[in-house]
Amino acid sequence: MNNPSSNRWTLARVHNRARGLARLSPTATAGVIIILFFGILALFSNLFMPHDPVASYTDRILQPPSADHWFGTDGNGMDVFSRVIYGAKFGFGIAIPAVLISLVIGVPVGLIAGYRGGILDEVLMRIFDGLRVFPSIILALAVVAATGQSLLNVVLVLGFLDSPVFARLVRSEVLSLRSSIFVESAIAAGNPTWRILFLHLLPNSIEGAMAQTAVRAAWAVRISATLAFLGVGIQAPTPEWGAMIRQGTEFMITGQWWVAIFPGVALIFLVFGLNLFGDGLQDILDPRRRTSK
Amino acid sequence: MKFSHFIFRRALMVIPLLVGVLFLTFMLVRVGGLDPVGLLAGPTATAEEFEMIREELGLNEPLWRQFVIYTSNVIQGDLGESWLSNRPVLEDIGARAIISLELLFWGIGIGTLIGVPLGLRAAFRPNGRFDQTTRILSLLGFSIPTYWLGLVMLFVFFYLLRWAPPGMGRISLMVSPPDFVTGSYFIDGIISANWRAAYSSLTHLILPVICLAIVSAAPIIKQTRAIALEVISSDTVRFARASGLRTKTVRSIVFRNSATPIVTFVGTEITGLVGTMSLIEYVFAWGGLGQYGLNAIVRGDFTAVQGYVLVLALFSVIVFLAVDIIIAIIEPRADLK
Repeated sequence: MNNPSSNRWTLARVHNRARGLARLSPTATAGVIIILFFGILALFSNLFMPHDPVASYTDRILQPPSADHWFGTDGNGMDVFSRVIYGAKFGFGIAIPAVLISLVIGVPVGLIAGYRGGILDEVLMRIFDGLRVFPSIILALAVVAATGQSLLNVVLVLGFLDSPVFARLVRSEVLSLRSSIFVESAIAAGNPTWRILFLHLLPNSIEGAMAQTAVRAAWAVRISATLAFLGVGIQAPTPEWGAMIRQGTEFMITGQWWVAIFPGVALIFLVFGLNLFGDGLQDILDPRRRTSK
Repeated sequence: MKFSHFIFRRALMVIPLLVGVLFLTFMLVRVGGLDPVGLLAGPTATAEEFEMIREELGLNEPLWRQFVIYTSNVIQGDLGESWLSNRPVLEDIGARAIISLELLFWGIGIGTLIGVPLGLRAAFRPNGRFDQTTRILSLLGFSIPTYWLGLVMLFVFFYLLRWAPPGMGRISLMVSPPDFVTGSYFIDGIISANWRAAYSSLTHLILPVICLAIVSAAPIIKQTRAIALEVISSDTVRFARASGLRTKTVRSIVFRNSATPIVTFVGTEITGLVGTMSLIEYVFAWGGLGQYGLNAIVRGDFTAVQGYVLVLALFSVIVFLAVDIIIAIIEPRADLK
């Protein structure tokens, strides 16, 4: 830490780290590769899209995959391949801010609840327990439908509803650290409470929450696509994967499979990549899981 | 008796939870900024008509009084009327609940029968080939969107192979449903020896049940493996091994000690699966509670949504209670306090 040069991320170091990760957890590495693949698609989608994702070729409606339209065209005559690529933007654009919001809400709540304890902690935990009786997908759907159907709202609702996951994890860590010597000495040294919470407890209790981020991102991608599939939050012509599957639903029993299959495959791959990475991350970061294997 | 005392106390503990649930379903509609008045009055309504409807719905009362009224209505079994069809919500929900339970029963049952043995086997040889395979499969099960899986199944088994009926309803239109006994067409068909109905119902059940079983098996595999691994590293099992018991005996000890946490987990999973199942119902036009709820959400029929969410929460509470009772029965060590 004190020597700045030892922390520099030269290319060789990155390479070394990557090989280390590959040895430590092959599944996590596979996950990283899949996530990077979609990340590149999302960032540079303009380079890969052969057509405008929302341009409709009215003379080429529901064409099967061909040299010009690799994934065929949908009911509006839009190019499915370009739309699938563009859809990666929504995957990341929803998952990353949603998980950040969950962290920003959940981590401080967990810190304070765990450190303060008492009635506050009791009430918060009861509320979190209460939320568990609702199926998450139904709660997300109902809240988005009730509070207004916009992309921003989908992100806010997903982030908010998922924050208890992080709050619980941080809280349980803080509970076990609360009476440890380093916290007591920080108190004795006269640190204000916020310093103890955010400079002493936070770095020591965040690991479990960080290990969960990828899995929660996978959840956010999946749920947001489900909302779009039902037409809640994100509406149909938008090149979002769930919305595209919705458009392809009626064609599945008449044989035009390409409209719904391809966005579904893309969705599975991204969620699978995030889950693989998350699973490996938990193995690496959670020493209990490692020894129990 | 001690046991009935335990159940009674456990049921009492549910009351604060129920109040919270009621509050949330109440707020869902009130805070959302939705205006049922506009929907009910229509675009040509005058200001007086608006005021009349507001008065009728009790929207002019203070918020806490509205909550009290809502709560007392719910306790009396009045979930309000649908904003769109004006039908009583409770009646609609009651008629559909059994239809959904049929699907849930087979789906979670088969999912558990697949998931628990796979998870146990994976745990007996951690990091072996079988473990790696089931781990990838279960992660894949986590990642597949249910509704997409349903659509693909319809495409393959209805459109391509013509093996399955189209995803519409739970019995063929050509077949008259069997006499009502349990509400499940399949079981009723068998009971009343109406083989045509039982067969038709079975063919309609297979695809949605497979979907639900796949989705429910994935987390069960993962969790069973984790639970069994923990039990395997416990002193009980180490002692059993050290005593030179046969592998078969040791494994049955592992299974018996894993049973309690597995039952707890499957119980909590049911809550999430009810959400997943609604999507399967939606795709297969099953006509159950899930499809009703999703349609209500999509159309903005908020008394129906409120009733739906409330009934789901009640269902979870009952399942959690049932899990506690089952554990008290199967687990002699359980503390009945």
